[in-house]
Amino acid sequence: MSAYAAEQLKEKGNAHFKAGEYEEAVALYSQAIQKHSTNPLLYTNRANARLKLGLWEEVIDDCLHSIELLQDNMKAYYFLAQAQLELNHPNEALVSAKTAYDLCSKSFTQTSSAFAISAFVLKCKRAKWELRERDRLRRRNALLDELETKLEQDRNRELESIKDQHEQGVLGDVAAREEMDEVRQTYEDKVTELRNVFAIADPQNMTKREIPEYLVDDISFEIMHDPVVTKHGHSYERATIIEHIKRNPSDPLTREALFIHDLRPNIALKKACDAFWEQHPGCEFEW
Amino acid sequence: MLATRRLQKELQKMHAQLAPGLTLVKAEDLTEWVLDMRVLDDNPLYTGKTFRLKFMFSQKYPIEPPEVIFVQDAEHTIPMHPHIYSNGIICLNILDKEAWSPAQNVESVCISLQSMLTGNDKNERPPGDEEFVRGNTRRPRDINFYFHDNAV
Repeated sequence: MSAYAAEQLKEKGNAHFKAGEYEEAVALYSQAIQKHSTNPLLYTNRANARLKLGLWEEVIDDCLHSIELLQDNMKAYYFLAQAQLELNHPNEALVSAKTAYDLCSKSFTQTSSAFAISAFVLKCKRAKWELRERDRLRRRNALLDELETKLEQDRNRELESIKDQHEQGVLGDVAAREEMDEVRQTYEDKVTELRNVFAIADPQNMTKREIPEYLVDDISFEIMHDPVVTKHGHSYERATIIEHIKRNPSDPLTREALFIHDLRPNIALKKACDAFWEQHPGCEFEW
Repeated sequence: MLATRRLQKELQKMHAQLAPGLTLVKAEDLTEWVLDMRVLDDNPLYTGKTFRLKFMFSQKYPIEPPEVIFVQDAEHTIPMHPHIYSNGIICLNILDKEAWSPAQNVESVCISLQSMLTGNDKNERPPGDEEFVRGNTRRPRDINFYFHDNAV
């Protein structure tokens, strides 16, 4: 009985979610969870709505609950990864994103998510790399570190003040979100400019380098993380070539028939791609 | 998202180097680009003329083909060709959903169009051009061409 009631509430919540009414959706999912707390989907649905609201910590709680209830929980890992990245934990985010990717590339029913998750794995890798790179740069230059810390503090203070105004009702939802985005953007721009100035003063480390072409997928032009090889020996990122095959089952280069079951993982190339992220400290790349 | 990254990179490469006869005119955003094209040999139909191409990209580019048309304005005409309608719409199989390949790119499409003109000696429009142009309100992506002659 309670499971049925929970299902009803979930459906109502889904309707609100579709309409973009995320707070209402969260409230209904919460009621559903009180009725039937062992359904993992209720937690992932609430996590998804909370993602839209930017409630990152709550998203993480929901995802962990959901994973406790259902181990191979692709969605929960994907939402978890997004919240972790937002909270600036790219290492954790990458682990979660990879788990989500593995789960969805193994499953036949969830391939439609593979494309988005694949792109997200890359985003985490890049964030992780950038974080490491920032630490390295900061160690090298204490002054830059101090200035960046100041900018970061300023940003956080401004964000807090907007949050307060939002809570006191001085600012509406949309206005608060817009102002926060602006503050974040201004901060990013300042940091970029600051680093550029420091880079000019240190020409040895200024040269931008290109990612080797053999690590880059010819369709998305992104560095690969799960390369597959066609029968003609050409490698692509799994998610992008599958997206192409779904529309047109042909080899992009030779136009001969090509099906998903013709693809084979290219393990050596995958290792080369993984190694790329570990090497090259101190290089700046044209992403 | 796919289109953004990919087009940014294509643009970067094109700024660095572009095939002979091609010039990038406008690429302010990642939805619509304009390029100028000259034919490199001395085909009397096209010598001394510069043609203007407009590329339109969907979010799904390069999984989906770009829409490409020739543009007519004060300085540019639509090249005479049995596969190019007088409103600039091009009937070329590689631009069609079925034959498009994501290994193609903006530059390679331009080169294909260049060679399509180079190899042509017919000073004529496709059959039924007038009717097609008069009646057509569709965008290139919504038209299913029948490729009656793949040799041209």
